[in-house]
Amino acid sequence: MTRRSPQNPKVIAGALKLLPARWAIAILVAAIAYVLLQPKLNQWFGWNLPSAAAMLGQETPAASKSSPSQKANQPPISKPASSNSPSPGKSDDVASNKTSASKPSNPERSPQKSSQSDGKDSTTTKSSSSAQPGSTAKTGSTANSSSNHGSTEPEDLKLRFLKPVGKDRYESPSGLIYAPGSEEGHRLKHIERHLADQPNRPGSHGVFDGDMQAFLAAIDDGYKRARGHAKGTKQREEEGMTVFEAPFDKPIGYLGGSEGARKGKPKLKRLRIVVRDKNLITAFPIQ
Amino acid sequence: MVLPYLIYVRTCPSCGDGLCRVRVCTHENKLAGCVVCDECESVWTDPTMTEKFTEGVDSYTASCPDCGRSLWDDTSHWADIQEVCLLGWYDKVKVART
Repeated sequence: MTRRSPQNPKVIAGALKLLPARWAIAILVAAIAYVLLQPKLNQWFGWNLPSAAAMLGQETPAASKSSPSQKANQPPISKPASSNSPSPGKSDDVASNKTSASKPSNPERSPQKSSQSDGKDSTTTKSSSSAQPGSTAKTGSTANSSSNHGSTEPEDLKLRFLKPVGKDRYESPSGLIYAPGSEEGHRLKHIERHLADQPNRPGSHGVFDGDMQAFLAAIDDGYKRARGHAKGTKQREEEGMTVFEAPFDKPIGYLGGSEGARKGKPKLKRLRIVVRDKNLITAFPIQ
Repeated sequence: MVLPYLIYVRTCPSCGDGLCRVRVCTHENKLAGCVVCDECESVWTDPTMTEKFTEGVDSYTASCPDCGRSLWDDTSHWADIQEVCLLGWYDKVKVART
């Protein structure tokens, strides 16, 4: 950032006097618009426009942060979310996001899940160890950021991937709303049910093979593709709700519950997403 | 209260993954029952599951067909065997140990 000399304001004021009033007002309006829109544009499009404070050299290097240092700590999840290409290949990234380290420390895990977390963790460890070489760095960086910065905190997770849009309401990059509701109190808690198996549950129970961040990214990716009627996706209306289905190139989870146990926990490559308007109700892997 | 068993009617025909379970609302000391999918929160008025209830507090909240209040309020809970019998629905449900 270039620091301006003390004479600069005088120079600017002098230049403004030379400008016609109409031009001065236009410049002023543009400057205000930039100040107001700059954070939003960065957020929406993943740009890195400098803030007004940074341009005036009034921002300390630590505060002018976000770009390099924060990006380094950001999990790979933000990539598939912000990317616009709706290719099913994104599931590879999602699958590689699995970090067993981040799972147990999630305090929002519902009590009924905690007793079953052992089985899930073993699955997670297995899959992260089988991650492709290209994805190892990503996984590692996620794990590091988790341990160094406590990024597995639900609040961090929400703020990193989801944009707050009201009291306890969050919006994903593709426009899905995660709001309070359900038996668990919040949709985010509700979908956490699908991060672990419930072997005693009658019938089937789709289990996502990854952590919450990867799950959110997969939901967003699937929703975006299904809404755009991408190849292999399905969409049907059900009295007040819409059910989307999206395929993935690689397995994203397995069939749990008593039916899953009976069938030998087959791998699942499709994701079903239930929404009302834009409010996510639930999402889970299916056959 | 977590019950050592789970009472359900069938797998949800709407979402395919949830269990349609009996939920009771005790608002104003009146026992009202309904069937709710524990996954997609679709609500039916009884275990025949012929009539879906889509009104209530708002379209995003499963609501009691009797009083219209949220089925996640303190006045509602998953039915136990006694309540299912009181509703006369025992022969229409399955019970699974959890």
